[in-house]
Amino acid sequence: MNVGILNYDAGNIYSVYNLIYNLGFTPKIISNKNEFKNIDKLIIPGVGSAFRCLQNLKKNKLFDLLSDNLNSELPILGICLGLQIFCERLYENGEANGLNFLKANVQKISQKNKFNIGWSKVEFKSDELNSIFLNNKDFYFCHSFSIQELDKNDQKFLEGYIKFDQRVIPSVIRKNNFLGVQFHPEKSQVNGVKFMKYFLNI
Amino acid sequence: MSYIRIIPSLLLSKNKLVKGTKFKNHEAAGNPVSTIKAFESQKADEIILIDIDNYNQSKGNFVPDLNTLKEISKETSTPLTFGGGIQNLNIAKQIIENGAEKIFLNRSVLFNKLNIKEFVETFGGQAIVIGLNIVNIKGKLKIYEKNDEDLYRYIEKMQKLGVGEFKITFVENEGTKKGMDIKICRELQKIISISCIFEGGIGNLEHIKYLAMNKISSIAMGRILIFNDYNIFKIKTFLKNENFNVRI
Repeated sequence: MNVGILNYDAGNIYSVYNLIYNLGFTPKIISNKNEFKNIDKLIIPGVGSAFRCLQNLKKNKLFDLLSDNLNSELPILGICLGLQIFCERLYENGEANGLNFLKANVQKISQKNKFNIGWSKVEFKSDELNSIFLNNKDFYFCHSFSIQELDKNDQKFLEGYIKFDQRVIPSVIRKNNFLGVQFHPEKSQVNGVKFMKYFLNI
Repeated sequence: MSYIRIIPSLLLSKNKLVKGTKFKNHEAAGNPVSTIKAFESQKADEIILIDIDNYNQSKGNFVPDLNTLKEISKETSTPLTFGGGIQNLNIAKQIIENGAEKIFLNRSVLFNKLNIKEFVETFGGQAIVIGLNIVNIKGKLKIYEKNDEDLYRYIEKMQKLGVGEFKITFVENEGTKKGMDIKICRELQKIISISCIFEGGIGNLEHIKYLAMNKISSIAMGRILIFNDYNIFKIKTFLKNENFNVRI
């Protein structure tokens, strides 16, 4: 199975690449729309700042590629910023329009603590995820912007969250063919590998 | 409540790990890949790895050891901060691309050799760790590499620019196993509003407990893990038994 990894200049693509490879799949790095061929699943890594990354996505027509594959048969996993770009509007280092697939905005995580860096216990709402991560739900987070509250009609897509400074931070969102996580499975040791296996259906 | 982070802090020189005392007399400390794999299995919360081969910034075209970084990211999935002698944005990009979550910067920022704002705009502040090597000169805290810089003003400036974390290393304690000066840690923690990793002098479990009791929640260590019979799991179990919140 070919697993595409979107390269939009500022992602830790080789961490994701190596994890996919080590699980026995064929990772393929996709840097422009033409390289998107025979891809069975797509992963969008994310270590970067929203404004510039969205510019890169648009420049290389990768934004269109994602747009074309919303609500399709292609399973997509968005990680951190790779989740946030599916929202309506993002405010990191300048305002930018996201893919508008999730009705929510991406803003500063909190006025008090500017960053959430470290491991957190994720509260899962889905039975399936609860059963996979029965004894240990710790995942690695590293972000300063996060999805604000999801629109009422989109609340049903929320499958996991953490609490940070007394507010809920959406951490797992599933909508049709899209699965997005605020944490970094590629940096979450044993749990991260488990999560990746879950996405890849093994 | 968030977890206490236990962070092995490792130095890299010519593809090998090394460890010194007070920033001098570095001795061999093993293979980076197998060492980091071991720390991962012991549930290290993060790893900091710094290439010291261009510490004095004498090599203008220096690139830190990306091959070792690649080897590490092939075999591990622990959050990694990588740095040492980074002189431009392009090298930082390659570091993130090859599997580091965060970039460690020190001298190049201190001596204004790169535009930190550009780094924040490219990678986000969460990916930038600023190193502060601290010495105590006649009762005043100074930056080791640049005594005439006002430490407090520098901290303020970095925070305003939007960096994500500081790693504070007490040079005179480094490698000595004599513990940290808790008063100084608390003083710095009070004026710093972002997360702060403290390092230098951890020599036994009581040292770590003492930091945890004083709400120092991000603790980096080298010698105690590399040359002694302490592993991270043992440290974390100890802290858990003392009712601190650790990830096991």
